[in-house]
Amino acid sequence: MAIGLNINGTVKTFDAAACPATLAELLVQMKIDQATVVAEIDGVIVPRDAFATARLADGMILELVRFVPGG
Amino acid sequence: MDELKIADKTFSSRLLVGTGKFASNAAMVQAIAASGSQVVTVALRRVDIENENDNLLSAIDRSKYLLLPNTSGARDAAEAVRLARLARAASGIHWVKLEVTPDPYYLLPDGEETLKAATSLVKEGFVVLPYMNADPILAKKLQDAGCATVMPLASPIGSNQGLKMRSSIAIIIEQATVPVVVDAGLGAPSHAAEAMEMGADAVLVNTAIAAAANPTAMATAFKLAVEAGRMAYRSGLAAQSAAASASSPLTGFLRNT
Repeated sequence: MAIGLNINGTVKTFDAAACPATLAELLVQMKIDQATVVAEIDGVIVPRDAFATARLADGMILELVRFVPGG
Repeated sequence: MDELKIADKTFSSRLLVGTGKFASNAAMVQAIAASGSQVVTVALRRVDIENENDNLLSAIDRSKYLLLPNTSGARDAAEAVRLARLARAASGIHWVKLEVTPDPYYLLPDGEETLKAATSLVKEGFVVLPYMNADPILAKKLQDAGCATVMPLASPIGSNQGLKMRSSIAIIIEQATVPVVVDAGLGAPSHAAEAMEMGADAVLVNTAIAAAANPTAMATAFKLAVEAGRMAYRSGLAAQSAAASASSPLTGFLRNT
């Protein structure tokens, strides 16, 4: 079975066996530094200290954002 | 000490700077240091999930600078509130530069949506610094809603046109009980000095520094201009008059009539 996650507007499909179980695992797999990212799952902000316990499931909508230069 | 006080914080510098448009993080860090600023703005955007991302936060020494996240990109109050909450989760600070700009060409702020977002963010405990049109009535409404400053635009963002809204900003300065930070459009140190001479409490500059041929030297120039303008304001500018007023004595001329 495949698992689909909508990440920043793009659907990514994972084999169920290879799909990261938590947000923290996903960030590791995507090589994104957890200390600099902030996340929403289905419109709800996930505090950084909850990344490791935030479980992922098929059809979830994720937003991963970070600070960039701006005025 | 002539310090700038915003909400519960005091600053010795009256120049706030943006971090956008610099050629590199190194150029940005150097220019910010030269500006003497203690408050730097940042934006929030999606992580690029296909490419490696530069880490802005590691470039900015947060023991020296207060990070002021903006809500740029928000087109209405709901989007701005969402960005502010994400910024708080990312930075751990509850200060926000509120921007609601539905029109991408002139990037002028939507006053109605800005007021709506400000009202709800203040209720959530945010220190709100709203970017706004130079509208004295709106300034009063934002102030009454609990905003920590008002930030009227001098001219459109990044336009470098200077104090096009001068007379309206003068009214805002006259009436405001919170600090007035002139934001956007200040293109030259002389523009910043002019705003400070008028009695603005601070100015926010980004493009004029970042897009200069030598951003570090330009940051220094803005620092000096802001200090000069502030000192001039506090010194009480001499009155203007239509006719000349001789600086030299009008007696003792070397003639008899």
